[in-house]
Amino acid sequence: MVKSLISSGSLSDIRVLDLTRVWAGPLATRVMGDFGADIIKISDPRVQLLSTNGLNHKLNRNKRNIGIRLDIAEGREIFLGLVEKSDVVVENFRPRVMRNLKIDYEALKSVKSDIIFVSMPGFGVDGPYSEYPAFGTTAEAVAGIPSLIGYGDGVPISTGIAYGDPISGLNAITLIMAGLRMRNQTGRGQFIDIALSASPLCNLGEYVAGYSSSEKITIPSGNRSTEYSPQGAFRCRGRDQWIGISVLNDNEWMNLKNLVADPELDSLETSNLEQRKKNEEIIEGLIAKWTSRLDVIETVSLLQENGVRAGSVSSGAQLLEDPHLNDRDFFFDHEEEEYGWKRYDGNSIPGNRIPKSEWSGTNDVGANSKEILIDLLGYTESFCESLASKEAVYFGE
Amino acid sequence: MGEIRKGNNNNLPLEGTRVLEVSEGVAGPYCGRYLASMGAEVVKIERPPLGDWTREIGPFIEGIRDGDNSALYSYNNQGKKSVLLDWTSVNGMENLQSLVPEFDILIEDWDLNFRDDIGIERTELVDSNPGLIEISVTPFGLSGPYARWKSSPLVQLALGGYLYLTGERGKEPLMLPGRQPDYLTGLNATAAIHIALWERERSGTGQFLEMSMLETLATLHQFTMEMTTFEGVLRMRNGNQWQKESSFASYGITTLPCSDGYVCFGISTEDQWERLCAMIGREDLIDDPNYDTRIKRADNSEYLDGLLTEWIADRTRREIFVETSEIWGLPTAPILDMSEVVKDEQFLFRNIFQDQVLGPGKTFTFPKYPYIASEMEPRIGNPPALGEHTEDVLGAK
Repeated sequence: MVKSLISSGSLSDIRVLDLTRVWAGPLATRVMGDFGADIIKISDPRVQLLSTNGLNHKLNRNKRNIGIRLDIAEGREIFLGLVEKSDVVVENFRPRVMRNLKIDYEALKSVKSDIIFVSMPGFGVDGPYSEYPAFGTTAEAVAGIPSLIGYGDGVPISTGIAYGDPISGLNAITLIMAGLRMRNQTGRGQFIDIALSASPLCNLGEYVAGYSSSEKITIPSGNRSTEYSPQGAFRCRGRDQWIGISVLNDNEWMNLKNLVADPELDSLETSNLEQRKKNEEIIEGLIAKWTSRLDVIETVSLLQENGVRAGSVSSGAQLLEDPHLNDRDFFFDHEEEEYGWKRYDGNSIPGNRIPKSEWSGTNDVGANSKEILIDLLGYTESFCESLASKEAVYFGE
Repeated sequence: MGEIRKGNNNNLPLEGTRVLEVSEGVAGPYCGRYLASMGAEVVKIERPPLGDWTREIGPFIEGIRDGDNSALYSYNNQGKKSVLLDWTSVNGMENLQSLVPEFDILIEDWDLNFRDDIGIERTELVDSNPGLIEISVTPFGLSGPYARWKSSPLVQLALGGYLYLTGERGKEPLMLPGRQPDYLTGLNATAAIHIALWERERSGTGQFLEMSMLETLATLHQFTMEMTTFEGVLRMRNGNQWQKESSFASYGITTLPCSDGYVCFGISTEDQWERLCAMIGREDLIDDPNYDTRIKRADNSEYLDGLLTEWIADRTRREIFVETSEIWGLPTAPILDMSEVVKDEQFLFRNIFQDQVLGPGKTFTFPKYPYIASEMEPRIGNPPALGEHTEDVLGAK
């Protein structure tokens, strides 16, 4: 009994109303859109969506867009009509914004009894900081991430990633799917509240557990680790070129030491982890001396061929050209009228996605308003026009 | 809110779902932990004599160094059963394969080298078990030039473009703490499994899901690649300052010292900038031609940091957090270390921490999950002792 997969993608029977902005929320709904879900992005017509920097192009593929004013009665009616036709509503505003718009789980439930409503605010919808504004970089700060990054001088360093966002986005996909699965089992919807600041904290389980049992905090010292030694990023030939190296065990160290082939290194006691930790600074210096003359790509290959864990420290430009990612057809090349061909990241979640050749680019504010109102809500053309004249809905440029 | 906060775990979404976890470290096990918290029965296969290698990695609860006491293992394996079986022998693999038909999901971390050694084809198990969802979690996936490379968290962060972005410009790039690539991949794998379960409910078909840690990181960049593709500007690491060039430039996403530590500011919009000027009593800057664009402000960020430092120098993190958030509506956050994170009033209000008793005198605290849902309360079980359930699971056969 061989059955085949759903031809229009695993999630083609799911409709999501997407009120999210910036990164965490749009990332989650982008993944679902790639799997065939009907993502209806709701944009405020007064706020420009597309910008020249590519962020919105990257995050809003495979989504339809409707421009609605939620603060106008007729706009709210449209929104509630769409809720009735949807499975999921997701937003990532500060709690106050939704409250002012009188959008909460109870209100949504009254028009669609089994709706899954997901909020992704900075600190969660309740609690002493719940109304404080936040974004990825401040969220990671309260979770302790920057306190664990630094050069050993006590100055904390934030990630260059706005790290609260991507983790929260990944959690959102799982939680939306779990909510839908429960709905199918019980007939009930639910309200799911994901705190941006709690997401990075849950990726630090061993630090919380370790602290709670020892009351000792970890002071970061560059890329050093208790498990890998030596470990670090070492400068190579060229401008800002670095190689990342991690040595896990004595064998790997022997292999690296033989390649570095420095008499000073050979004269040191370095055969076990304890000895290497003791001489760590000298060892790091000698490796850096060796790599400084070498090409990073060639050296990574050389080390990997000799069983040493290594990788080039890739910039954004290098990531786009990465031979492995390209060999695996990871990227999504897409042509937009205004910007020409651009390369975007693909989808790292394997499964039954719609084929890349059928992916659509980003729709600007209001681009799909009319088709959504007519096809989904059964509005007439003239009713659409009257709503547009009241500025409740926007049909795009 | 009281009603909504109350979840229940009598009826969880993965009740009745059976998961076989043949995966060590963090990525696969973190995924298994998440599935267990949603009601799945997770059977973890561990190799004799020591089991999952994270059992040997510190920190150890109360400093007691034994295989049932690792903080890393305990956190990532809560709520599972442990069965001893050596799947790395041909005979053991046959025994393992005889278990597979009893499970819905198989989580494994078998890279190409291992698959060749043991003689197991890519989709062999799903081909003979059509309903099976098998997720393969490896550093680079099962094809491409890096498929046989060895990795580490640092190497993943290097190749995935994260390392390049964190740390001071011109200095060694810095890693994120602990095992972030593994945690991110575990979250991605959890999402993949939920999507595949949805597919299976619809089509009856299982899948082989090939997840790559490198691809996971490559999809979790906000605009690293878009700065190159849309603006021709390389995104750099910049210490605690945000990017200067490009349309993403702004002041001030910055971290500065105050009287009792460091505070992270996340000022990114025009209106936030104007409120920041008002807050420090320098409204004259709003119309000053030297500061009237985001790029100009970013270029002058050292001067602006000086002004802001003057304003915060005599205040505590707490005072700054409250005043900037409540009065000025600016996203800021105190940089907390782990001793402060576990006492943070917002995290405590949301009841994110839980204590777990492993044995007499062996208690640790851990973060549960970053969400609160009206119908789903995570089910938290103890981590298993090595081989604790071998007889229960294998003896029944």
